[in-house]
Amino acid sequence: MKLEGTQTLPATVETVWKSINDPETLRRCTPGLKELSETGPDAYAATLTVGIAAVKGTYKGTLTLSEKQPTTHLKIILEGTGGPGFMKGEGIVDLEPQGEGTLVKWTGDVQVGGLMAGVGQRMLGGVGKMLIGQFFKCLEQHLGTDA
Amino acid sequence: MAVRKIALRINGKTYTGRAEPRKLLSDFIREDCGLTGTHVGCEHGVCGACTILLDGEAVRSCLLFAVQAEGADLATVEGLADGDRLHPIQQAYQDHHALQCGFCTPGFLMTTLALLRDTPHLTETDIREALAGNLCRCTGYQHIVAAVAAAAAALASGAHPDAYPPFARRVGDSVDPARKERKRNAANDRRTTGAASTRRPRRT
Amino acid sequence: MKPAAFEYHAPRTVDEALALLDAHGDEAKVLAGGQSLVPMMNMRLARPGVVVDINRLPALDYLTLDGGALRIGALCRQRAVERSALTAEHCPLLRDAVRLIGHLQIRNRGTVVGSIAHADPAAEMTAALTILGGEVTATGPGGERTIDADELFVSYLTTSLDPRELITEARFPVLPAGAGWSWTEIARRHGDFALVGVGVVLSVRAGVVADARIALTGVGPTPVRATHAERALAGAAPGDALWEQAAEAVRAEVEPDDDIHASAAYRRHVAGVLTGRALAEAHGRAREAA
Repeated sequence: MKLEGTQTLPATVETVWKSINDPETLRRCTPGLKELSETGPDAYAATLTVGIAAVKGTYKGTLTLSEKQPTTHLKIILEGTGGPGFMKGEGIVDLEPQGEGTLVKWTGDVQVGGLMAGVGQRMLGGVGKMLIGQFFKCLEQHLGTDA
Repeated sequence: MAVRKIALRINGKTYTGRAEPRKLLSDFIREDCGLTGTHVGCEHGVCGACTILLDGEAVRSCLLFAVQAEGADLATVEGLADGDRLHPIQQAYQDHHALQCGFCTPGFLMTTLALLRDTPHLTETDIREALAGNLCRCTGYQHIVAAVAAAAAALASGAHPDAYPPFARRVGDSVDPARKERKRNAANDRRTTGAASTRRPRRT
Repeated sequence: MKPAAFEYHAPRTVDEALALLDAHGDEAKVLAGGQSLVPMMNMRLARPGVVVDINRLPALDYLTLDGGALRIGALCRQRAVERSALTAEHCPLLRDAVRLIGHLQIRNRGTVVGSIAHADPAAEMTAALTILGGEVTATGPGGERTIDADELFVSYLTTSLDPRELITEARFPVLPAGAGWSWTEIARRHGDFALVGVGVVLSVRAGVVADARIALTGVGPTPVRATHAERALAGAAPGDALWEQAAEAVRAEVEPDDDIHASAAYRRHVAGVLTGRALAEAHGRAREAA
């Protein structure tokens, strides 16, 4: 399932870049993230409880940052398995200066398997976009405080 | 999880059992009451194999917890035949070859029972629409539709006055179908206006 | 598939139900019809620790006409609303929408209020409440409050209710005198969730469209009022050209998602087609206001 979007953030590309790479930001802003512990450079073990309303699942897996081109380009891979099945999301984030802020362009390729995928197909795309939107909203709120 | 005592009536007979709240009514009927005519297919409310009557209404027993049926009147497929004498609806299904493996059949029979009780006169479209909540993988449905039409004719002929035993009626219903219809509408409305539209939106 | 264990309560008074919700907060789920909740529990997609069964509260099972609206209690079954002469006479759009919910067996247990509280993105009742400008009464630890349809539906399966609140009643205003209505859906099989559903209420005065309301389900996380299309209709001369114009406006306005059942492009296209048909049908039913 492919998702994409854009977001404008009221901070410089340097500030946004720093924020996205900061484990504290990831910890705070990744929706449903319960645990994040560093296992190596740009690699983390993660536990996420993600879902919508009463439909929730806990996934255990990894979060990896790669393809880093400082202040412009980044790849985030989040994958995990759990009761409701498995999920793997690969996100590419591109940053561009726009006026005094930053234009964030993201594309995501999300695979979801197991029960959640079969039954929840109607809402996966929309919920996925929503969760990514939550991530950026949180990021926006905390920009500048982590500078 | 605290096990509870559950007492209910099935086909006019009282059954009791003990079950956790999470035990589905379909499983309680089969395992605790020993009535395995009610079948379990999908357990999420789409196939209709588990259809029974609860206080006279056709419902999916896999979407009810047994504790919810405490004190209720259920009707299952075992209540249809009278000893060796098939119920007219069962006879129609047999006559029209409306079953092959028979797995979906109890669900269809219970849906048909409630359907013909409430709507004695049906077009083929009405029948197909009313049966849409029961899935069959064997027959292709044509013979089932024919069987229901035949059963409707048989029941409307008045030759089967005992086709709807008390446990197969809606709670609080009288026996006379015409009076039933008026009573039901009156019970649902604070005023009976007599206005009714039969327009049905088509799914396109 | 069997549900995970839970603590079960079947309160005998509304106050008892509220006390349970207050005590357990978002660990509790209300069980009314169960036609959405129990499948999720059976598949273990939902695992509430506490289930509050409100089926032993007959005081919540009512359907009345009061002050220009149909008042539907939390326990009123969809089938009752479908068969009621009150619905047929005063709010036939609601009847047309209710009878397309799932199948008969589902409607025998499912409740109108439950469908609203569940807020499925392809539900009929949420769009019906939206198009008729309805509201609900939610009761919780802070007392009773009224929530308009516009403020109730937040996202997929998400309303603005607090977990400790119970919707006790939904109110659907009756159709304005002389208004035409239409509810139409498309799905691959009878009883499936709608891929797209459209409701229209249309009033005509002095030969032009006096008031038009269009609501869609299945094109986003919540029901969508097609306000651009509505504005295009106001004051204009009814006819096929106008319906096509409105259909185009709806296509431009909605932002559906792709999924395995239908692409966004398909949903967008069909939203326009159904809007055109619904407008034509509603116009055919409209009577000039005296």
